[in-house]
Amino acid sequence: MIPNQALTIAARVMQQLIRDRRTMVLLIAVPLVIASIVGVSIPEKQMLDYIAPAILAVLILFFGFLLTGISFLRERSQGTLERLMASPVSKPDIVGGYLLGFLLFAVLQTMILFFYLIYVLDISFYGDLWQIIVFEIIIGILAVCLGIFISVFARNEFQMVQFIPLIILPQIFLCGLLWPVEQMPDYLQWIAKFLPLTYGVDGIRALMLQGQNLLDIGKEIGVLAGYAAGLMVLASLTLRRGAAS
Amino acid sequence: MVKRAPAAPAVKVDRASFNYNNIKAVDKLSLEVPSGISFGLLGPNGAGKTTLIRLLVGLLKPKSGGIRILGETPSRKTAHLIGYMPQLHSLYTELSVMQNVDFFARVYRLSDKQQRARRVEEVIRLVDLWPRRKDSVLKLSGGMRQRVSLACAIVHNPPLLFLDEPTVGLDPELRFTFWEHFANLTKQGTTLIVSSHTMDDAAHCDRLAFMRSGKLIAQGTPTELRKATGKAEANLEDAFLYFIHREDKK
Ligand SMILES: Nc1ncnc2c1ncn2[C@@H]1O[C@H](COP(=O)(O)OP(=O)(O)OP(=O)(O)O)[C@@H](O)[C@H]1O
Ligand SMILES: [Mg+2]
Repeated sequence: MIPNQALTIAARVMQQLIRDRRTMVLLIAVPLVIASIVGVSIPEKQMLDYIAPAILAVLILFFGFLLTGISFLRERSQGTLERLMASPVSKPDIVGGYLLGFLLFAVLQTMILFFYLIYVLDISFYGDLWQIIVFEIIIGILAVCLGIFISVFARNEFQMVQFIPLIILPQIFLCGLLWPVEQMPDYLQWIAKFLPLTYGVDGIRALMLQGQNLLDIGKEIGVLAGYAAGLMVLASLTLRRGAAS
Repeated sequence: MVKRAPAAPAVKVDRASFNYNNIKAVDKLSLEVPSGISFGLLGPNGAGKTTLIRLLVGLLKPKSGGIRILGETPSRKTAHLIGYMPQLHSLYTELSVMQNVDFFARVYRLSDKQQRARRVEEVIRLVDLWPRRKDSVLKLSGGMRQRVSLACAIVHNPPLLFLDEPTVGLDPELRFTFWEHFANLTKQGTTLIVSSHTMDDAAHCDRLAFMRSGKLIAQGTPTELRKATGKAEANLEDAFLYFIHREDKK
């Protein structure tokens, strides 16, 4: 089903992550540290139930964007993309390979964080783990495509990191992580409506806290899938940049 | 491995041009390379060697004119027939030597596991890095990286090989080994297109083209080019300068 060449690239993306021990440790530790800080600083159970699940969505977007962005930036600046573009692999193979490679880590990270939230922080939970994973994968696809696309605009790792306050942070502030979107000023609500993470956080809350299933959050899934598809097209169209000119 | 010997020339360029904004990197250039030889592309910095090679491997499309490799327009369909060693090392520095070579072997569809393992070992030994195969590229010296880069370009045993300044940064001994290996490849029927600015490399090639400002200013065997200067003791350096001066006078 999945083309061999995409699997080859996925395997390489995973090799790169695994060989980078520090990043691997950070990938697992950072979510737990953040979850612990949230757990300790919010003593009120009801408030914690509201905020903690949202971390799942926020972290997938953050790590997916950052890791793919930097990996892909290196692919462009090291000249390996030039090699790939002169080889028999296709653009869908490359995008597909990156998606597969990172989504495996995304699933791993989601599961670890999920069990930590449930068993250590004692978050209320009325859903299915597999549905949460499916939903997280959709956010992950969006994050990976966003990372590949934005890497076109960065010349080095430092510039890539600077896109975080520009692209990720506003989404975190406006997604309703801490305050419900409905309590924000009108114009911020209006902006929040255009940010994919808002739908990610809504969806994950519905799945975890309200006992809803994937069918109930069709609107959130639709919006996220739409963004993911759009970004996938943008990422594919700009993929060649930096390969030769 | 059996190589096919195509009837068409390995490379045929017909008045091809490519420009970056207002820089004419390749300017109505025509060129024909028969298969099975080593062809040297000589020229100073900025002559357009890399741009020409990128046109030949299909990374860039000519703004005008035609390009054929092994009788076909460069595309993803012809990609498996060529090997390309870019001017940059172009390796995954955090991965090991073996992981890099194996990755490109897979990219070039050597899907049989045992065959691939054998071939990967063969090329790593060829560039004399077998004892370092598990080291990440980050830990290798510049010349060693150059060797890994060559290994990645030849792992699928392509009939047509483009090497963009493969000997830069190599010590004399290694440069000699590289050329010995290139001679072996052409003996097996591989066509080699090698860019360089050193006349030392040029002397090893079966045929040469001198390039400047996107144009070819002379072509021929090393002996022919030296003879053209009219001086018996002229070396290739003299020949290159001779053709540059002749061009300037026009
Ligand atoms: N990506 C690019 N964008 C703009 N101009 C470029 C680009 N790449 C090359 N050029 C220009 O095209 C011309 C030819 O460059 P090219 O890299 O082909 O030369 P070269 O012969 O390979 O030089 P060198 O020996 O330094 O590698 C130069 O004037 C260069 O400035
Ligand atoms: Mg060059």
